[in-house]
Amino acid sequence: MSAPDFILETRGLERRFGGVRAVAGVDFKLERGELRCLIGPNGAGKSTFFKMLTGQMRPTSGQILFEGREIGGAQAHEIGRLGIGIKNQVPDVFDGLRVRENLWLAARFGHPAPRADVVVTAVLERLKLTSISDRIVAELAHGQRQWVEIAMVVVREPKIILLDEPSAGMSAEETSRTAELIREVNRTATIVVVEHDMVFIRQIAKKVTVFHQGRILREAEVEQIMRDPVVRDIYLGKQAAA
Amino acid sequence: MGFRSMTVRIDEMTRTAEPPRWWWWAAIIAVTIMLMLLPSYLKISQINGISKLFPLGLLAVSMGFMWGFAGMLSFGQTSFFGLGGYIYAVLSLYSGETSWPLIAAILLPMLFALLLGYFMIYGRISDIYFSVVTLVVTLILEKAIRSTSGDQYTVLGVRLNGQNGIPTVPSLQLPVEFKTELHAIFYLAAGVLVLVYVGLRLLLTTKFGRALAGIRENPRRMELLGYDVRRYRLGVFVLCSGIAALAGVLRAVWGNYVGPQMFDLNQAGQVVIWVIVGGRTTLLGPIVGAGGVQYLAAWLGTQAVGQISLILGLVLMLVVLVFSQGLLPSLGIAFAYARDHLILRRKI
Repeated sequence: MSAPDFILETRGLERRFGGVRAVAGVDFKLERGELRCLIGPNGAGKSTFFKMLTGQMRPTSGQILFEGREIGGAQAHEIGRLGIGIKNQVPDVFDGLRVRENLWLAARFGHPAPRADVVVTAVLERLKLTSISDRIVAELAHGQRQWVEIAMVVVREPKIILLDEPSAGMSAEETSRTAELIREVNRTATIVVVEHDMVFIRQIAKKVTVFHQGRILREAEVEQIMRDPVVRDIYLGKQAAA
Repeated sequence: MGFRSMTVRIDEMTRTAEPPRWWWWAAIIAVTIMLMLLPSYLKISQINGISKLFPLGLLAVSMGFMWGFAGMLSFGQTSFFGLGGYIYAVLSLYSGETSWPLIAAILLPMLFALLLGYFMIYGRISDIYFSVVTLVVTLILEKAIRSTSGDQYTVLGVRLNGQNGIPTVPSLQLPVEFKTELHAIFYLAAGVLVLVYVGLRLLLTTKFGRALAGIRENPRRMELLGYDVRRYRLGVFVLCSGIAALAGVLRAVWGNYVGPQMFDLNQAGQVVIWVIVGGRTTLLGPIVGAGGVQYLAAWLGTQAVGQISLILGLVLMLVVLVFSQGLLPSLGIAFAYARDHLILRRKI
């Protein structure tokens, strides 16, 4: 068997705020092609961890390696150019423009014009957004706007996509559509999802990393995590156990 | 909410990122033919009156394009309008030629815009300061020109004449013969306006034009996507300054005169009013606004009503309150409404 191909790795990653170790020496490994969920209670450090991975926050110490290259402390736009796609929690789109134009602007940087058109059309179809491609983004529902932004990440053909709470504020129906969409995207890209919603995580259902007090508490398949008494205790509470 | 959906309706009609359809080209050709035929049906005084509107329409477009499509409100496009006129006046009087002074009168103001824009845009001053600085620059230029009334203020041997401006600005020497000099100016100014209009419309379909729309909507997102927003903003500022300078040359040629009022607050404010009245979200709006407001002002002047400014002010208030998008976009909304609710329903 060949050695695992780690696309993203952190070594002793740490971020301190004053005396608080929000992320306290995390060793994290992600294989190419994975769909990994990061979960944890509020203040577990997962958001801080996410911000460091995406270049929105500098680590106090430790390393972040993307395909073996150190990227800790790189600027957000540099990280984008390396092939890392980022979607923050709040939709950040071009409200006054059409869906297709939103995607085109994302695709055109780095692609010549004819190629951008092809990529945009392909992604619209793949993510089943063709029916709304002519709509103005401001007119869309919250969930649709989030999908548009995920599509804007996908048209740039990143190797890895980092998503922060993609299902936040969505209805149950929108949430399962989002899960479907993420699984589809996962066929061509490695994905990391920071998420709160256990229903959503069950729908994506792959490997889960549980953060607690700035460290990794558990790392296992989703069913195993659900059964784990320690995880239940600190995070999931009674609702998921029921 | 109602207004928001109205905004959306007009966007739906314009589709500026896509190449214009056949009917747009047909309309351009029809307007061009109409403009070519028009002078034969008009009195000399009418040709003169209309010729004056073309440079002003061009000036309005140079402001409206930046505001409506790139989200940059320049209060001082008159800086470049005046500079274009003055540079052309001085160089053509100095050399006795008109072709290279025309080119210089466009390029030098663009160079000035490059410098001024570099400090404003790369210095990342906020939107409101961009408006304020551009306004202040045009007022400084006005004051500077007004204070050049003595004999000692000459450039290349041409007296600037302070308040009085420079008369006897030479007309452009054109390769084609026209019936009268007035016809020549009419065709020249109308032709330039149509060409600039078509050029800007096509520019909107390019990567540059589409990126401008993205910058207007969400500049921070554009930066995250990798676009250098500052370069695009500087580019459009320099381009529109060139258009304003060209308008200034045409204005100078039309009256064979340049004066400090080309830069003044009244003129600068009028440009903004034209664009607001006509509607900044369309390319045609500023042109119609400039023509309409100027025509109205001239007509009021002949009606002996006295307070022209007061009436124009009321018109502006009415437009802002009732047609918040400007006249042309409001017409577009009315058209779309009629199409959806009257015609389509009948078909069903």
